[in-house]
Amino acid sequence: MEKLFLSISQKIQVNANTWVITFNETLKFYPGQFIMIETPKLVRKPFVLGRWDKRLSISVQVKGEGTKWMVEKASHLKCHGPLGKPFDMNQGKGLFISSPTCLTLANILKENFDVDIIIGSRTPLLLKIPYETVIGDKKFLKLLKSLTGYDWYLISGSVEMEKVVYKTLKGKKLYFSLEEFMGCGIGACKSCAVETKNGIKHVCTDGPIFEGDELCW
Amino acid sequence: MLVKPPLILLSGPAGFGEWFELINPSVIGALTLKTITLNPKSGNKPPRMAEGRDYVINRIGLENPGVTKFLGMLDDLRRLKTKIIASLGGDSIDEYEKIAKIVKPYVKNFDAIEFNFSCPNVEKGGLSIIGDLEGWRRIIKTIRSILSDSFLIAKLGIEGIFIEEATKFLVESGWNGVTLINTVRGLHFDGDKMILGGLSGPILKPIALRAVYEVKNKFPDIFIIASGGIYNFEDAKEFLRVGANAIGVGSALFKDPEIVEEIGKKLLEVIHKND
Repeated sequence: MEKLFLSISQKIQVNANTWVITFNETLKFYPGQFIMIETPKLVRKPFVLGRWDKRLSISVQVKGEGTKWMVEKASHLKCHGPLGKPFDMNQGKGLFISSPTCLTLANILKENFDVDIIIGSRTPLLLKIPYETVIGDKKFLKLLKSLTGYDWYLISGSVEMEKVVYKTLKGKKLYFSLEEFMGCGIGACKSCAVETKNGIKHVCTDGPIFEGDELCW
Repeated sequence: MLVKPPLILLSGPAGFGEWFELINPSVIGALTLKTITLNPKSGNKPPRMAEGRDYVINRIGLENPGVTKFLGMLDDLRRLKTKIIASLGGDSIDEYEKIAKIVKPYVKNFDAIEFNFSCPNVEKGGLSIIGDLEGWRRIIKTIRSILSDSFLIAKLGIEGIFIEEATKFLVESGWNGVTLINTVRGLHFDGDKMILGGLSGPILKPIALRAVYEVKNKFPDIFIIASGGIYNFEDAKEFLRVGANAIGVGSALFKDPEIVEEIGKKLLEVIHKND
């Protein structure tokens, strides 16, 4: 972990409320790790690290004042990282099911693992991506029910989406990337607690990726 | 207690020293560790934190490993290159006495011991320990007699009793310092979800300034650690002006650990100028 000062290279709009931000700098990190980014708000926010056009990048879903500032005004970002446990899955073929907010993670997974990618979005994408894309909830559910032949699945999206996937694919080897409000990102404040079958764990140090069967749905 | 520079990372947000991977410990005077209780606590169910326009609200629920495991961490804590203040709490008046006795043989590992008196009193309906004034006045005397050689600090909130009055009882019982102020009870809506917790952040600054001012006026000799909405050196200077002996930072770490380092550097510059 180190202090970082990243200069923004590009901001690319992906759908109605999601952007990819690429940086000029390089950083050694592992799939699943994240950085805490400062915005005009009081608490830094976590963003999963990834790749876009071979550059270090993050995906940003505009949710409020801080993320709006990031996509509209920011030219440099103060942050710290990389943080979190790397996702290490070198066995068999996997499938990454994600909302557009993890497009950049999809790219880094593709670099590291034997994995197919499906991007599910409620609204149409504004750019072409090299992955299968499903628009709308009904089509997404239909696709989920048809999935076979993968050794593991990694899912990243809204809580609702993750619940639907868990219910539909239960019994398979499932991993979920979780989001919880974080104060520090480094294990100091204990704010990002998540209830698991093995007791309270913390998204910043035990995650952000957890096995589906470990979580209390 | 000499804290140089007079900057303290506060109990809770400061964890057990994790920030020293990002902050140079030589610009931090002391670290107050997370509050430790007699038994381990797994803390509250999530969500545990949210933020509003000028505040952070938290309901961590004192997650901590309990005193036995904590004492096993002392070798690692001693390696931190700053002064260490232990923070102790409990679910009842009894637990404060028990934990003070357990920690007594280890007090040399700490530069001071802070008691967090905002913990909920489980035996008395969940209000803070200080809400039972008779019991609290008794326990501060007992703690003083058990930890007779320690630099004792009380962390006080503004609810339950006027902070000057609480300080008066502490002074009478021979305590050395107070941390002013702890978080203030608040309620925050996160969409439809209601979060009941303790407020910190800029919203506390005028309240904390007044608390330090009043206590310093009445008890000029007590050591005051100011805590509440300190986000830059200008904030720190205001607290020093009203009588703080040391500046505490907590939630500001979540905004920018570099700013905290800046405050430390500037406080050191002031000390060097006055030397």
